[in-house]
Amino acid sequence: MQKAIKINKDEWNRLLIKLSDAGERLYAPIRHNGVFDYELIDTESIGEIVYNEAKPASPLKIFFLPIRLNVTGGGKTPGRIIIIGAPACDIEGLKLLDAIYIDEKYTDESYLSRRQNAIIIGAPCHKTAENCHCTTYGVNPWPGDGCDISLSSTGEDIILTTMSEKGNGFMNEIKSLVDSTEPEAGDMETLKRLQEASAAEIADKNDGLPGKEETGKLVQAAESSFWKEHSSKCVSCGACAAICPTCTCFLLIDRPGFEKIKQQDTCQYPAFERVAGGEDPLKELSVRFHNRYMCKFVWKPERFGVLACTGCGRCIDACIAGISKNEVIREMT
Amino acid sequence: MKKQTKEVKGKGLYEVLKAEVDEIIDESPLIKTFVMTPEEPFKFNTGEFIELTLDGLGEAPFTPSSSPFVTEKLEVTIMKTGYITSKFHDLKSGAILGIRGPFGRGYPVDRFIGKEILIVGGGCGLAPIRSLLFTLIEMKDQIEKVVLLYGSKTPTDCIYKPMFAKLNSIDKFETYRSADRPDGTEWDESIGLVTILLDQPMVDMDNSIAVVCGPPVMMKFATLRLLELGFSDDDIFLSMEKNMSCGLGKCGHCMMGEFFVCKDGPVFTYAEIKHSPEIWK
Ligand code: SF4
Ligand code: SF4
Ligand code: FES
Repeated sequence: MQKAIKINKDEWNRLLIKLSDAGERLYAPIRHNGVFDYELIDTESIGEIVYNEAKPASPLKIFFLPIRLNVTGGGKTPGRIIIIGAPACDIEGLKLLDAIYIDEKYTDESYLSRRQNAIIIGAPCHKTAENCHCTTYGVNPWPGDGCDISLSSTGEDIILTTMSEKGNGFMNEIKSLVDSTEPEAGDMETLKRLQEASAAEIADKNDGLPGKEETGKLVQAAESSFWKEHSSKCVSCGACAAICPTCTCFLLIDRPGFEKIKQQDTCQYPAFERVAGGEDPLKELSVRFHNRYMCKFVWKPERFGVLACTGCGRCIDACIAGISKNEVIREMT
Repeated sequence: MKKQTKEVKGKGLYEVLKAEVDEIIDESPLIKTFVMTPEEPFKFNTGEFIELTLDGLGEAPFTPSSSPFVTEKLEVTIMKTGYITSKFHDLKSGAILGIRGPFGRGYPVDRFIGKEILIVGGGCGLAPIRSLLFTLIEMKDQIEKVVLLYGSKTPTDCIYKPMFAKLNSIDKFETYRSADRPDGTEWDESIGLVTILLDQPMVDMDNSIAVVCGPPVMMKFATLRLLELGFSDDDIFLSMEKNMSCGLGKCGHCMMGEFFVCKDGPVFTYAEIKHSPEIWK
């Protein structure tokens, strides 16, 4: 059963200070010059947290898949972290990450322990960003299952709703530390209206952009000349994959002592699939470029039943060549 | 048939099992076999692969060429093709290597019971096949016949030379070889691409399966020829060479369409992958 509580903003801030002083590691989006991103928050920055806005510059995966990690260290399991303000698109992306990293045969312990030790406080987007298009792929701009608690700010108050068992437990911890009330029906309605307005805005802005199934078909059908033309400006920097909440590919780097370092990698880099004998299925830029679309809209859905794109729009923001995934897809129709 | 067992590891996916190189056998100018003793007995099923680490330098995927019934020793046959493989070739006996695995899905030998088995190998692709042959010898009473066709660039490039006579002396086993071109060394076998050995099926087409392993181009033409001969898509077993790295279905380097070759393969039937992109690259 979902439980909701309402906490006055000042009280909430005091709670965060209390938690932080008690040694909890709290991450939340903090704004610097227009962009905002997750930071470890402290007494100073608590007042600067950005609530219910799309979206932190970094995808949620950074907490679970560090860019570089020694995977043979045996090492210490990282302790609990509390992530405040994860957008729905990124939470959706965790489904694919979980399917890949927590399978019954080969569970990646470093990923699993990070997932288990994280309390994800999702936040509905009351304010959307230019390239948001989650609704195109059936993702609502408010979190569902997949996070532990959903947080909405009304300006004066913070309303928390439990979304999981773990969230329930955390909510009980909070309740013992801070004064809270039950939200009124009116509060909940206001919040509902806000998030639904965001959904409508996103749907409107992306009118005509093909949905999941159609995109898969289009991506499969487009000729190689199409990919040549649209990839011509790509410089294979890999920014689109680095910033993507669902791109998870990595490289293993060897260190003396049979140590292995796992480092973020992408099919957009040359030689990603090259074998020792020299054959490289992704040798050509346009084939690599196409591969990314196939992976996201055809192969991952075939394999895992979920799209490898949650419509966050970050790859569009990030491309230094100015390539917009959505423009490319619109061109196919 | 003796039971092959399989260990599934959850923890320490990236930790290696150390193995000491006891012997290095020159198979051809470009190919060497490394005979190793792993720290602990190492179990695998034929056709599964391992990741072999050269400490601090890198890791590469190989399918063991030795018998899965021998767990104290492990043999890997390596062709010199690039940086890491040439580093392996520089090794001396006594070197310590690291093993991860075994990974993937090997040959489904249960499906071979009662069948005539046509094996087509090329170049270093004979390495996984040798391990399969060891398995088939163990299963000899349960299978009808094994025909091995093997092609190398030149007679000198033919690997495991002593193996052919031994196989021919075993009941139910026959071998035929070809070399793309002569090189002056003694050669009583055919000259031409390995597909010339596929003029006739040499097996009972109503009760046979085919196994192909070799360089991509050879796999392509051998498969096309087998299809022409009447093998069904489902009876052709291909061992795919992709850029396997993690071996765990996670790093993405081995993806071929929706398949993770490291986990779903490396052995596939042609039926399973014929619609995947770039299978011959
Ligand atoms: S492909 Fe682009 S829009 Fe889709 S999830 Fe990745 S970064 Fe976001
Ligand atoms: S961000 Fe743009 S230029 Fe960089 S790899 Fe992606 S599509 Fe290519
Ligand atoms: S080798 Fe890493 S996913 Fe297959």
